[in-house]
Amino acid sequence: MRRARMLLVLALCACGGTGGELVTFHAAAAGPADSVSGQPFVFTNALGYQVTLTRARLHIGGVYLNRSVPSSGSQATSCVLPGIYSGQVTSPLDVDVISPDAQPFPADGEGTTDRSQTGEIWLFGTAVDATDDRTVLADVAGTAVQGTGTPIEFTGKFTIGQNRAVPVGNPALPGSSPLCKQRIVTPISVDFALAQGGTLLVRVDPRAWFRNVDFAQIAADPDNPAQRKFLDRSQGQPDLAFYGGLRAASGTYLFNWQSP
Amino acid sequence: MSLHKPTTRRAARHLVLALAAAQLAAPTRATAQAQAQAQEDLRPPQVVQRSEAIYPPAALAERREASVTLEVTVDTSGRVGDPKVFESGGKEFDDAAMAAVSQWAFTPAEESGKPVAARIRIPFAFRLPPLPPPELATPPGPPATARPPAQGEAGAEHPAVETPAKQEGEELEATVRGRARPRSRGASDYDVTVGQLSLVPRKTAAELLKLAPGILLSNEGGEGHANQVFLRGFDAREGQDVEFSVAGVPANQVGNPHGNGYADLNFIIPEVVSSLRVLEGPYDPRQGNFAVAGSAEYELGFEERGVGLQVGYGSYATRRVLALWGPPGSSSRTFGAAEFYETDGFGKNRDATRGSAIGQYEGHLGETTYRLTLQGYSARWHSAGVIREDDLGAGRKAFFDTYDFGQGGNATRFSVSGEIESRSGSVVYRNQVFAILSGARSRENTTGFLLDVQDPQQTLHTQRGDLIDQSTSATTAGIRGFARTSLDAFGRRHEAELGYFARYDVTDGTQYRIEAATNAPYHVDLDLHSQVADIGIYGDLSLNPLSWLTLRGGARLDLFTFDILNRCAVQSVAHPSLTNPPLDASCLDQESFGAHREPVQPATTSSMAFLPRVSALVTPVAHLTFSGSYGKGVRSIDPQFITQDVKTPFASARSIDLGASYTRDLAGTALALRTGVFETKVDKDLIFSESAGRNVLGGSSTRRGLLAAARLTGGFLDESLNVTLVRATFDDTGLLIPYVPDLVVRSDTSVWRRLPWSPGGVPLVASTGVGVTFVGRRPLPFGDRSDRIVTVDASVSLARRPVRLALTATNLLDAQYRLGEFNYASDFHSQPAPTLVPVRHFTAGAPRQLMLTLEVLLGGGS
Repeated sequence: MRRARMLLVLALCACGGTGGELVTFHAAAAGPADSVSGQPFVFTNALGYQVTLTRARLHIGGVYLNRSVPSSGSQATSCVLPGIYSGQVTSPLDVDVISPDAQPFPADGEGTTDRSQTGEIWLFGTAVDATDDRTVLADVAGTAVQGTGTPIEFTGKFTIGQNRAVPVGNPALPGSSPLCKQRIVTPISVDFALAQGGTLLVRVDPRAWFRNVDFAQIAADPDNPAQRKFLDRSQGQPDLAFYGGLRAASGTYLFNWQSP
Repeated sequence: MSLHKPTTRRAARHLVLALAAAQLAAPTRATAQAQAQAQEDLRPPQVVQRSEAIYPPAALAERREASVTLEVTVDTSGRVGDPKVFESGGKEFDDAAMAAVSQWAFTPAEESGKPVAARIRIPFAFRLPPLPPPELATPPGPPATARPPAQGEAGAEHPAVETPAKQEGEELEATVRGRARPRSRGASDYDVTVGQLSLVPRKTAAELLKLAPGILLSNEGGEGHANQVFLRGFDAREGQDVEFSVAGVPANQVGNPHGNGYADLNFIIPEVVSSLRVLEGPYDPRQGNFAVAGSAEYELGFEERGVGLQVGYGSYATRRVLALWGPPGSSSRTFGAAEFYETDGFGKNRDATRGSAIGQYEGHLGETTYRLTLQGYSARWHSAGVIREDDLGAGRKAFFDTYDFGQGGNATRFSVSGEIESRSGSVVYRNQVFAILSGARSRENTTGFLLDVQDPQQTLHTQRGDLIDQSTSATTAGIRGFARTSLDAFGRRHEAELGYFARYDVTDGTQYRIEAATNAPYHVDLDLHSQVADIGIYGDLSLNPLSWLTLRGGARLDLFTFDILNRCAVQSVAHPSLTNPPLDASCLDQESFGAHREPVQPATTSSMAFLPRVSALVTPVAHLTFSGSYGKGVRSIDPQFITQDVKTPFASARSIDLGASYTRDLAGTALALRTGVFETKVDKDLIFSESAGRNVLGGSSTRRGLLAAARLTGGFLDESLNVTLVRATFDDTGLLIPYVPDLVVRSDTSVWRRLPWSPGGVPLVASTGVGVTFVGRRPLPFGDRSDRIVTVDASVSLARRPVRLALTATNLLDAQYRLGEFNYASDFHSQPAPTLVPVRHFTAGAPRQLMLTLEVLLGGGS
């Protein structure tokens, strides 16, 4: 009798759940916390260059969180693994990364309350799997000086299109290096669970982009020989170093979750 | 089945005995046991109004006598129809008897407490009075009138016509033909007579299922796609957990890639459904494969005689033409029906076309009844699929919109069935053979552009689209039958039945993925050739050890054999060869280092299932029955999961029910009340997977709930109301099973009335039918709940034979509701970046739709 009564109560209250929760959250991006709004960002890179960034903008196509903990080789092929994602911010944003101010994404993010273990920054303009894309993802300008040397003025606009295509090494695996893998920065270590109304702040540190750039090797700008300009290609120390920093999963991007 | 009793003046007793033996009738003993059986037994028609036969003047003048026996049908409202001379006394006597009997009225025969049509024989004896003395001879004069026959009243002065029906309530010799129905298994066994509830608008015969508690129908696949059935806590998808049959012919498709057990009921023309048995739970040994949540058996029949035509036109250019005919002189189980239907559909991409034809003939040879049923059906449709809630909210999509115009499908089904039922002594034998040719194709895109991940062996590509194209072509043949006998022991009647079922399916099933840009298949997910046999045998006893106790049950043994040829067995290569790279081919001829192997893989296996099922019915007082049932049911495994010599795993359910029912006939109004609680445990449940576009095997689960149902049938009102509460949870986590409604309420109401005007002397009858559905907030993944659903369907009609005009409205209140709601990840390219996290999706419920139907019925009568 007690069981029947309990059954009735349980049924009538339509209680219980299926586990988890769908949430929406605010999302923003910013430069390093130690940068000063409206001021050039000054730092010294690993090669001893004192860099003064006067412009550093990053176009973020999307931000994703997933529940998986990457292990070696586990994501060697696919850019997207349906079923693992716990959060997303799908509205693109151009971020001034030499400003510490939070710059909100145009639309809120959405996700689940599953614990997020990995963050992903998707750098694309048209589509993450587009065969080519000329959207400028990083736009930088500034000067660099090593010791008492001559300051080097530089500019750079970086895209991820055919200029970043990785040649097929194994003809039996022609799809092993799709461009989407170039456009997704992962795995960025995170450890939090989204909650309704919270805020995700992505901090982008441009110091990491220039960490190993040898500014002296940047080619002269053919349009302005007084300046040097990154060539936006997968060759040459400066471009490779910058691109490596842009895609570095550690040190460049920091995910900060603020509960409501 | 058919049962034919020879003429006897003690017909009532003989009738009772014979019908009891055939499970069509029961004694009217005023015992508790009889009351226990009353609801499932048959009571013959009772005369309530007789008319005198006119003694033929010429015969009277010539002093000729004769005997005539007529055979007539007494329909469910007690009217006499379809008279036929069984034994002729000459044309003039036959005509006189026919004229008289057309004025007779009855209370209808009852089966299981519900009115049913009955075929009865009425003898007329035209007897002359003795000749008077010549001086008192009466001149011929006006024709003599035979008074209402009264036994022994053949007066001295008047000619008389005698019939055995002497007074109200006295029983006639009756020949009642009908399929022998299995005995009730308790409160979860619903033998639904549609009757006047046919006035409630229903687009398909599947919607008749709503007359049983706990059933919710959904459909995100479009008109023509099988309905998704939720039954008492089960998400049975398109029938995978419910065994469906139509006139004894199975409707579940074995090996359909859209779902093993997919049951498309759209071929059934609703107007020719005479009754429906819904058994919620695996409690009857007759239930076979797929009866995990329960079973539904449709019986076909058409009460009207003559030729009828319905023409309807309604919202969204919906057109329907229905032709029906029932040859006079035949039973309601002899009929033909053909339907054509076409609609532009509400919103985008919802057009549909279908045609269906069903013919059935029932004949009799002495004690043998035979029946032939033919059926053909073909349909084509488009479907809108799901819409993301965020796209609706942002104005990117409209409520009745679609993402993929490639969605839709087509279906064909042709079947033939022959059945013979005969008696030998107290044993009834039935054997049936059936064959089905069916095909189906379904194209659905539930995830957009999400699942086409780049494999390293493939050439570089973007997401090509997730439109899944599933096709099935199946040939099915089978036989089924039983022998049933009754025996008297310890002063009571008991019954025993042995039955068999054998079915063989040859099915080709494929599943492709279609590239959105080119509409060409880019990947083969599945390509199976399946040969599946299911042979079952069962025994069933119905014992009455005490006057207030009935025990029913037995066991069933099913053997399943699988012979599967997977024609696309190899889909990935561990170590691709440089000289023989697999690239984009789906069905590969290598597995490692380029070594050749054929892409096919045969697999055979078999397994056996033992299924005990028992019920106890206790009747402590008249009209009230308590019942308890236990049973085990199985669902055979999907052929794609068959592995060579690995014993076939079944999904099995163990279910228990406790219930009570109360039936009462009060002054011509039948009342039936039921309530019960139940628990069902499933070891391998089916859970919806949006990525597979179907239900996939999950873990174990439990459903507990209660139900209540009421049916009130009177002279002008028919009301059916049912409520089901259920709680369905996974055993490992205790979490609710998504998508299963925990509260379903359904009301069907029909009211009809003869109006006070009779233009041209023909009665004018007005009727209305209203169906109300309430579905509580369904649990969704990630702790969500869906919206509640409340819909009202209604019809009004005016009939002046032979014409009837009806206006039906589905979703009368034009509620904008979400028929299905789902939480999962999809990417329909509606936002700049891929959408990869679960969000709410829905399928739109149909808006208000009106339809005006004109019906003409000629040349018969009921």
